Amino acid sequence: MYSLRALLLACALAPSAALAADYVGSNVCKTCHPDVWSNFYRNPHFKSVASGKESPENSGCESCHGPGKAHVEARGGKATVIAFSELAPDKTLDACLRCHGQTISRANIRRSTHTEQDVVCTNCHSIHKSPAPKFLLAKTQTELCYTCHGSVRAQFSMPFKHRVNEGVIQCTDCHNPHGAFAPTWKMASRPRMVDQKQGNEEACLNCHTDKRGPFVYEHGSVRVEGCETCHQPHGSMNARLLRRPTVFTMCLECHNGEGSFGNFGPKFGTGVQRPPSDHNLADPRYRNCTTCHPRIHGSNTSEFFFR
Amino acid sequence: MKPTFSILCLAALGVYAQPPVAPTTGEPVGNPRGDNTENYNVMDSFELGYRFATAGGDFDMYRSTVNYTDGVRLLSSSLSIQSRDGHGHWFDQIQLNTQGLGNDPYESATLRIEKSGLYRYDMMWRENDFFDPSLTIANGAHFENTSRRWQDHDLTLFPQGNFRFFLGYSNNVEDGPALTTIQLFDFRGDEFPLIANIHRLQNEYRLGGEIKVFGFRLNVLRGWEDFKEDTPTSILAVAEPGLSGLAPATLNAFQSSQPYHGTSPYWRVGLFRDEGRVWALNGRFSYVAGERNFIDNEFSGGITPIGAAMTQQILAIGDARRPAVTGNLTVSLFPAKFLTITNQTSVANIRTEGDAVFAELQNGVAITPFIPYTYLGIRTIANSTDSEVRFRRWFSMHAGYSYSDRRIGVIDGQENLGGPVPNVTPITQTNLLHVGTLGFRFRPMAGLTLLVDGEIGRADMPYTPISDKNYQTFHARAEYKLKSFRLGAFAKTDYNLNSVSLTSYASHSRNYGVDGSWTPNNWFAIDAGYNKIHLNTLGGMDFFDVGQLTNFNSLYISNIHTATLGARFSIRKRADFYVGYSHTQDVGDGRSTADGLPLGEGASTNLDAFLVAQTFPVKFLSPEARFSLQLNKRMRWNLGYQYYGYAEQFSSIQNFHAHTGYSSVLFSF
Repeated sequence: MYSLRALLLACALAPSAALAADYVGSNVCKTCHPDVWSNFYRNPHFKSVASGKESPENSGCESCHGPGKAHVEARGGKATVIAFSELAPDKTLDACLRCHGQTISRANIRRSTHTEQDVVCTNCHSIHKSPAPKFLLAKTQTELCYTCHGSVRAQFSMPFKHRVNEGVIQCTDCHNPHGAFAPTWKMASRPRMVDQKQGNEEACLNCHTDKRGPFVYEHGSVRVEGCETCHQPHGSMNARLLRRPTVFTMCLECHNGEGSFGNFGPKFGTGVQRPPSDHNLADPRYRNCTTCHPRIHGSNTSEFFFR
Repeated sequence: MKPTFSILCLAALGVYAQPPVAPTTGEPVGNPRGDNTENYNVMDSFELGYRFATAGGDFDMYRSTVNYTDGVRLLSSSLSIQSRDGHGHWFDQIQLNTQGLGNDPYESATLRIEKSGLYRYDMMWRENDFFDPSLTIANGAHFENTSRRWQDHDLTLFPQGNFRFFLGYSNNVEDGPALTTIQLFDFRGDEFPLIANIHRLQNEYRLGGEIKVFGFRLNVLRGWEDFKEDTPTSILAVAEPGLSGLAPATLNAFQSSQPYHGTSPYWRVGLFRDEGRVWALNGRFSYVAGERNFIDNEFSGGITPIGAAMTQQILAIGDARRPAVTGNLTVSLFPAKFLTITNQTSVANIRTEGDAVFAELQNGVAITPFIPYTYLGIRTIANSTDSEVRFRRWFSMHAGYSYSDRRIGVIDGQENLGGPVPNVTPITQTNLLHVGTLGFRFRPMAGLTLLVDGEIGRADMPYTPISDKNYQTFHARAEYKLKSFRLGAFAKTDYNLNSVSLTSYASHSRNYGVDGSWTPNNWFAIDAGYNKIHLNTLGGMDFFDVGQLTNFNSLYISNIHTATLGARFSIRKRADFYVGYSHTQDVGDGRSTADGLPLGEGASTNLDAFLVAQTFPVKFLSPEARFSLQLNKRMRWNLGYQYYGYAEQFSSIQNFHAHTGYSSVLFSF
């Protein structure tokens, strides 16, 4: 037990074990890396140099790449310095989180799907060669995400979609690539890195403010299971991002009056209410559900979303 | 940066970037290092041009899916002012980027101004023109021609300090004409189209701070979200006929006002500590007190389908509230270098309740007013534990288990004035979900990565017939990277079985894809991708067919193939040529016409519409080409063209084709 503690302690102290004399300063680095240094003033990390107040291990090149003395003495080489191209993903994460860990947007990074799949900081961020104006992204945000999420790219190529390719919407409007809290809808499971708005609502409501409610009469499936019950948020071959080409089949898949769904208590077993007997589905009139029920996302005056 | 590598990077970027007939930002033009002025470096570029668009077929559908129009545009611009030593007087950095200004349907601008250690200001402004035609949904009577504008402003004081302060403001406006419908006067009535003048406004104000003490960082944010909707609706014409054609149903007068205003003040508190070597902890608490006040004053007059004159007045007034509390606590442990264990507990309690009085008069006679009384409470407690074991650098496994307990409480009733008070004890239902996950990551050789994940979930009381009940997912991905070559492939399945007494709802989703890119040199790059997205669902339906209760198993099949291809050629560093192609096609269930045999099980039906709705073959394709020529050190001429073709197989009413393009000059300083 004591040996384990000693090991943990040694690991914890490893960075500080480097002597101050092992740090050579960024001015030495630029001698051999002028191409990196010449544009480094554009890099957000340059702040650590400009401030002039940071300790050597927190300033400039050596704040990320470690003490450079051995690297200089060996006249270069990746073995004598922390080279991120050689670093294991979890070590890369540790290195970046040393400074970037404690923000609310990265609160879930260690349990995020990206981290689980070894997608860490340097997979998306290019520290020295970023072509993006902000966040040191390795590519434009959309193309960066498309690199791995080919199926999402396919969805945004569909005729009905959120305008991500057109540039007016970004992936991070709805998702937090650094991990998300458990959703407050859909059994708090399968979060898909959806960034919640105002702390606890679906990202959709950030733009579609009129759907937020609260309403006196909520459409239960919207509030309990979320917008994806009826919509495909990325893109769809169907109008209005619906999951079905016609609205009535989508409604009837839930409103079939069967099983124990939706209703409970005295109504248990009656299921989600099926269309009443005066709704003759052979008549096209009754297959356009939202003509009579236009307030389908919620209403303050009508239990059946009439107005 | 070596010039060759720089060009290579930009070329690789360009090959991926294929926004629809969009600016060519990212072209290597001018002096990439900008100009030095005193202590600042300034880089500036803007692309000014003319966009053209012509469309044939259903122009409304074109506007719904593409929406570009003719006109002069500032297609893109970029301004960067950067302090060279990090000690600017008022600022160290200004970064301004715009896109599509000048009446493109998709316009945006972002701005960052920063003084290191003192402040950071971020602004984002966007505008999206939205057109939603009168599609067959809702009998073709729902239509929107609106514009949405967002703006977000965030100011952080002392962004690198141990004490930080946040100020924020967001604004979201949506307005424009629309067409909607209303059903009058009772269940025997008719549906009538109405003009609506949409006006929605949301303002959000944020104020917060962050402090670092004893290694913990405490973040507190206070916000207020105000929302207003004032969307008056009115009749289209005197003696408006009903949509169903039930003569003599007409609407002679209609007026409705439904102001809907409210505020959602909220708190969010976060506490973090990432010690990084042994453990990390974060917690979050949030509270939102959502409230909306409303009034609905509606008057209508006309003739009912049975020929009776009718006036109806409805007055509803009240408020709806939705307080929501959430809490999260995540603990990560790193007991050994090869092991990570993370546990998260989350609690959410959301109550929706309303107070309202509803009164209705028909032909001047008051229908008994009542107080609608609804309550929807959702309480969810979830706990998940995930572990990752890194056996070797080239092999690791992860496994997890999560448990969710959701209780829904409902009070569904109404109290007639003077009548008995209904039971106000919520009726509750609880759903338990158990989920297990397992996966591994394997790197058998340099550049090759294999990822495999699976998830199994079991719920005992899902809320809807299509909710996850007995589900399993499988995901495998392989990626090979070697210098400038990348090839990836994936397979993903998601199966869900949700039994009901009528039938079994079954959903089978299968998704396969392969994509790759290759940039062999600085004058050629290519990327391509293919995806197959397959979905089939079998759902039970139960409805009345000419008074006869009918059971019908609806089989829906979607079989989507998408392919993208892009290639860029650079000629002597002076000219760039890009060609791209995007093809998306749902081949449906294979039938060539809308007519088809009943594919579902169960009772036979003569409802052809159900059979037609089982599949929806449609094709959407878009080839494009762009050419860019460097005129001199600071100027570049660009030309672009993109074609769009949309074709439904069962009906050509909404089909369209469009030619769009632009010609522009990019100035770089």
